[in-house]
Amino acid sequence: MSFELLAVFLASTIRLAIPLLFAATGELVSERAGVVNMSVEGMMLAGAFGGAVGAAMTGSPWLGLVFAVLTVLPIALLQSVLTNSLRANQIVTGIGINILVLGMTTLGYRALFGARSREVIPGFDAVPVPGLAQLPVLGPVFTQIWLVWLAFLVAAAVGWMLSRTGLGIVLRGIGDDPEAVAKSGAPVGALRHGAVLFTGVMSALGGAFLSIGDIHTFTEGMTNGAGYLAIVAVIFGNWSLWRTVLACLLFGAATALQFQLPALGIVVPNALLIMLPYLLAFLAVAGLVGRQTAPRALAQPFWK
Amino acid sequence: MNISMSSPSATLARIGPPLLAVLAALTVGLIVIVGMGAALDKALLAFWRGAFGNGYAISASLNRAVSLALVGIGFVIANRAALTNVGGEGQIAMGGIAATALCLFPPIAGLPLGLAFVVPLLGAALAGGAWGGIAGVLRTRSGTNEVIATLLLSFIATWLLYWCVQSEALLRQPMTSSATLPESLPIPEATHVPLLTGSYSSPVTLGLPITIALAAVAALVLARSLFGFRLSAVGLNPVGAARAGINVGGHIVSALFIAGAFGGLAGGLMLQGEQFSLKAGFSSGYGFDGLVVGLLARNSITGVLAGALLFGFMRSGGIAMEMGAGVPSALVSILQGLIVVLIAGVAYFQDRRSVR
Repeated sequence: MSFELLAVFLASTIRLAIPLLFAATGELVSERAGVVNMSVEGMMLAGAFGGAVGAAMTGSPWLGLVFAVLTVLPIALLQSVLTNSLRANQIVTGIGINILVLGMTTLGYRALFGARSREVIPGFDAVPVPGLAQLPVLGPVFTQIWLVWLAFLVAAAVGWMLSRTGLGIVLRGIGDDPEAVAKSGAPVGALRHGAVLFTGVMSALGGAFLSIGDIHTFTEGMTNGAGYLAIVAVIFGNWSLWRTVLACLLFGAATALQFQLPALGIVVPNALLIMLPYLLAFLAVAGLVGRQTAPRALAQPFWK
Repeated sequence: MNISMSSPSATLARIGPPLLAVLAALTVGLIVIVGMGAALDKALLAFWRGAFGNGYAISASLNRAVSLALVGIGFVIANRAALTNVGGEGQIAMGGIAATALCLFPPIAGLPLGLAFVVPLLGAALAGGAWGGIAGVLRTRSGTNEVIATLLLSFIATWLLYWCVQSEALLRQPMTSSATLPESLPIPEATHVPLLTGSYSSPVTLGLPITIALAAVAALVLARSLFGFRLSAVGLNPVGAARAGINVGGHIVSALFIAGAFGGLAGGLMLQGEQFSLKAGFSSGYGFDGLVVGLLARNSITGVLAGALLFGFMRSGGIAMEMGAGVPSALVSILQGLIVVLIAGVAYFQDRRSVR
C-alpha cells in the first residue's frame, strides 16, 4: 500500500466512523443507565432528514444542525416516555419507531422536495487543520469537517463523565441496580429520561453528519443500518467508552476497505467486509473474544 | 385460541386496545392522504383494488400474510419461554439460501410425489431452525442475551445471502456477460410450491393451508401439551422449573429452534412460491414485520393470524395506492409504526390491571 493510499484510507476510515461514533457515544450513556434504544437507527435517519431540510430551507448547514436536533428530540422523547414512563418493551418500541421514522422521512422528503430530489444541499466543508494538514503523508487525515473533531471531543467528555464524576457513578448504578440507587434518593426516572434524550441529540448529530456533513444530500432510508451498527459498536466495545470508540473506528476501517481493496487489486468478497462488524460483535457476545459484561439491568424497566 | 374460556368482557379488554390502535392509525393515514393533497376517493379506491380488487391482488396479499404469520407464530412460541426472537429477518434469509441450494441440486428436482418441493421446504425450516438454535445454545451455555444474539445473527445471515448471490462459487448464476445479474439461477418448475387454484392469475400457494394447519398445531401445543406447559414454566420461573426437573436449557434451545424453523419455512415459501430465484434484498423486512405481528398478538395465535392478514393486505393496498394515486407506500410504514408504538404503550395500562 503506497503512502498516499494509506492516507486516503485513514481519512475515509475516520469519516465513515464518525456517524457511528456520535450515535454510539449517545447509546453507550443510555445503555449504561439500563435503557436500550433500538430507535437509534430511526433517530439517526430523522437527524439526517432534519439536517437536510433545515440546511436546504435556510441555506445554512449550521441551522440545519439545529433542525436535526429539533427533529429528533420529539422522537427521543417518545422513546423515553414509552420505555421509562410506560415501561413498554424497549426492543419493540424501538423497532416500531424505526418503521415509523422510515415512513415519515420518506413521505416528508417526497412532499418537500418532490421532483427536486437528489439535489445538492448546503453542507459543511472539510477544513484543513493548520499545521497538521501540511504533514507530508498524513496531511489528508487532518482535512475534515469540524464535526469530526467534535465527535472525538464529546466521546472524551463522556468517558470522563462516566468514570470520574458523581453523575457517571449514579448513571452506571442505575444500569446495574436501579432499585438500590433509587433508595439512595437519586431520581432514577429523570436520569433515564435524560440519558435517552442525550442519545437522541447524539444520534441527530450522527445522522446530520451523513446528510449535510458527508455527502450533502438526503436519500430515502440513507442510514441503511448505521444505527444498528452503532448499537453493535457498544456491544463489541463491551460497554466501555474507549473500546466503543475503537469499535467505531474498526467498523469504519472495514467499510473503507470495501473501496480500497479493489484499488489495490486484492479480491475479498464485499459481503465479508460488510459482515465483519456484526461477525466480530457476535463472536464477542458469544464469549469467544474475552468476557462480556453488560449492565445488569439492561432493557429492564424500573418499577418504583 | 382460548377465547372459549374467557368471558366476553375479558375478550374485549384484550382485543379492544389493538383494535383502537389500528383505527387510530388508519385515521392518521386518512389525514395524511388528505394533507398531501391527494384525492381521497381515488387513493382509497386504489388501496381497495390493490388489496382486494381481484384474484391476483388477494392472492398476493395472502402470500404476504403467510410469511408474516409464520414469523409471528415462531415469535409467540419463543416468547412463551420468555425469549424474544428478533432474528426473523436472518432466519428467513437462511431458509431462502437453503431452499435455493436444494432446489438447484438436480436430484432433488427429480424426486417423485411432491418431494421435489417438500424437501427444500424442510431444508429451509431446518436452516432457519439451526440459525435460531445457535442463539438458544449461546443463551444456555454462556448466558448471552438472545435479543442481541438473534439480532447480530440476522445481519450476518442477510450479508451471507448477499455473498451467496454475488459469488459464482456459491449460488450466483453463471456469468455469461458483464450484464449477468447477481442472483441465483431460477429454480426448476418441479420445486415450485403448488398453487391452490392451479392458475398464475390468482397465485395463492399451498403455503396458506400449511400455515393455517401449523397455526392450529401451535395453538394446541401451547395451550394443551406438556411441552407447552414446560415452556411457560421455563418462561415464568426458570429456577423453579429446573427444581421441578424440567430441562431448562433444552427447552430454551428448542423454543428458539422452533421459532427459527418457522422463519426458515417462511423463507422457503417466499422463494419457492413467489420469487423463484434468490436475489439480494430477498427478505426485505418480512422478518421485522413478522416480529411486530407476533408482538401485537400478545401471545395469541389467533391474534397473529389477524395481524398478519391486516399487515399483508395493508402492504398490498399501499403499493397499489402509490402506483394508482401517487400516495407513497411509505404511508403504510407510518401506520405500521404507529400501531406498534400505540399498542406497546397501551400494554402498560393492561398489564398494570392484571399484575397489580
